[in-house]
Amino acid sequence: MTTSTAPRSRWRASAAAGPWLGPALALILAVVIFPAAYMVWVSTREISGFGVDRGGAGLENYRRLLRFEAIGQVLTNTVVWVVGVVLLTVFISLGLAQFLDKAFPGRQLVRLAVIVPWAASVVMTSTVFVYGLDPFYGIINRFLVDLHVLSEPYGFTQRPVSAFLVSMGIAVFVSLPFTTYTLLAGLQAIPGDVLEAAQVDGAGPAAAYRRVVLPMLRPALAVATIINIINVFNSLPILRTVTGSLPGYDADTTTTLTFKFIQADRQIGTASALSVVNFVLVLTVIAVYLRVVRPMRED
Amino acid sequence: MRTTLRLAAVVTVSALAVTGCGFGGQGSSSSGDDAAQAGTTTLDLLVPSYSDATKANWEKVISGFQAQNKDVKVNLEVQSWDNINDVVRTKVQSNKAPDILNIDAFSGFAKDGLLYKATDVASPQTISDFQDSFKQNASIGSDMMAFPFIASTRALFYNKDLLEKAGVSAPPKTWDELLAAAKKVNALGGGVYGYGMPLGNEEAQAETSLWTFGNGGSWSDGDKITVTTPQNLEAVEYMQRMVQEKATQPNPGASDRTPMLNVFIQGKIAMAAGLPPILAQIKDKNPSLNLGTAPIPTKDGSPVTLGVADHLMAFQKDGSKKAAITKFVDYFFSKDVYSAWVAAEGFLPTTKSGAEQASSKPELKDFLTSLPTAKFYPSSNEAWSATQGALQSQIGQIAQGKSPKSVLDAVQAKADAAS
Repeated sequence: MTTSTAPRSRWRASAAAGPWLGPALALILAVVIFPAAYMVWVSTREISGFGVDRGGAGLENYRRLLRFEAIGQVLTNTVVWVVGVVLLTVFISLGLAQFLDKAFPGRQLVRLAVIVPWAASVVMTSTVFVYGLDPFYGIINRFLVDLHVLSEPYGFTQRPVSAFLVSMGIAVFVSLPFTTYTLLAGLQAIPGDVLEAAQVDGAGPAAAYRRVVLPMLRPALAVATIINIINVFNSLPILRTVTGSLPGYDADTTTTLTFKFIQADRQIGTASALSVVNFVLVLTVIAVYLRVVRPMRED
Repeated sequence: MRTTLRLAAVVTVSALAVTGCGFGGQGSSSSGDDAAQAGTTTLDLLVPSYSDATKANWEKVISGFQAQNKDVKVNLEVQSWDNINDVVRTKVQSNKAPDILNIDAFSGFAKDGLLYKATDVASPQTISDFQDSFKQNASIGSDMMAFPFIASTRALFYNKDLLEKAGVSAPPKTWDELLAAAKKVNALGGGVYGYGMPLGNEEAQAETSLWTFGNGGSWSDGDKITVTTPQNLEAVEYMQRMVQEKATQPNPGASDRTPMLNVFIQGKIAMAAGLPPILAQIKDKNPSLNLGTAPIPTKDGSPVTLGVADHLMAFQKDGSKKAAITKFVDYFFSKDVYSAWVAAEGFLPTTKSGAEQASSKPELKDFLTSLPTAKFYPSSNEAWSATQGALQSQIGQIAQGKSPKSVLDAVQAKADAAS
């Protein structure tokens, strides 16, 4: 008897919630599900360089993507980009959050300062770095030359490897505020008596951090990492601003390559196929992350 | 069970958040909102921004036009050159093409059957006023598909003071003279450079064309895109020689045109290819620059330059706005309106009456006289857009040591894929 009423009442509860959920669901359908489906649809069409649909193309767009000569390089870049930026960001943020968690005079001001790169537009931040690193009139280049670190200005943003590293630096810089604050919130949720208990049990600072603080930070770390993976994976503005004028594909990730397919090669179909691949890649990365690290478990 | 569910939920939500960002930018303008007024036609006009004054210049044209034609309303939309191609593509894809579009290349739209023939939406007087070379450049076969809108040619801009300091008495006419002169300037040291070669993404195809055209090369045999011809290869090899023998600014492969010309305007580069609007910028930013202009150096010194013409084109759609479009086109290309527009933006006119009016300006003389030797991009070839894109994103690799042949082969492959 009980087994049959429980599902029914749950169903009834869901139905009752319908009117409240409806608008949100409609919105998600319109701005999330529909575009995603449309993207998949476009990736199977042959689209002229000027936007006219010339009919179905089957999997030709995907085949063309596989034949693309620099795809290996671009995928490698993408892995370096995502793993490098996310690891560095989380690592630095852990330290920063620990620091900001301590009470010291002027802490409010320091906390505010950490937010600044978050408040500024990413394109603006990147542009500031690009100008600063310009070999002709860049203030950072000038500074390094005046300090005799460099003998003459160096085109940091004009060579693929250094430009890619600069972009990674900027990406870390703009990802720090969010990550730090997420971790800081996590730290503040750890009750003081737990740490005291650890101390009483004879744990030193290192052991207390590793065996008590880190495990309790797990949910915050999970949120910070997943959101960073998604953000960094899809980050376009930094690379576009810093490496956009570089020739070839030595400093491209799959996201910037998508734009090159559209803007330089006018291959909308191939670009859509790459977007779908991008989408599947993120899905896989997140699924693997959740499976392996199991950040949501509650033991 | 609960963990799996939660896992699935997190994966889906995060993944959807990812794709949610990829869609947008369609149809912000609401056309035809005034169409309800009896007899009023609304024309959507989409134009790129040539300068900060472009919007105001167009608004002047439109208000003048609307004063004479009460039954036509013109909706102006101005986009940056960076965006306009994407905007047009999105609009065409969603059946919201503008009625009149100002952009560089028209052939793709024409091949897709989207455009009116130019002769159908302008009076014979307007058509006959265009200079023949431009008219031909705006035609596919015998059909004129777009209106030549404005033109520019390139000339060699040089810094008289820097050349003099390096002991170069006259501006170079041939490649060898250019190489020698530029090396002398580079040898001066102290952050000055001989030749500004912008091979970054912004407009690498223009710099490359100056070199290939200067060697008798061409991007098209009239039918197919031909990137890998011996003339083109020789020209690109010479470009690489300029870089390797240190006659250019550092890292030419990643230098965009605008920042490079800014450095020229600051007086740190001795020679660079420039175009008419730069004259006004120099007057504005660094009037003390001792500037000279000369024809573009070529392999053997025979004059040839790159001409660029942008076009105005009319979209057919349901065919109901033909009369209104004709009125607007005739008004815009009438002598006074057109000359004022071209002069305000600092370009060269494409009409005969406009050229007469512009010839009174001494600073444009070098450019106007080079018009007859100007060679154009093969923009009536539908594969040219992709070729241009490939040149922009690839040619700079020659400055990083990649072999000219393999780079040109890669560009040719993109061109073949697009045709």
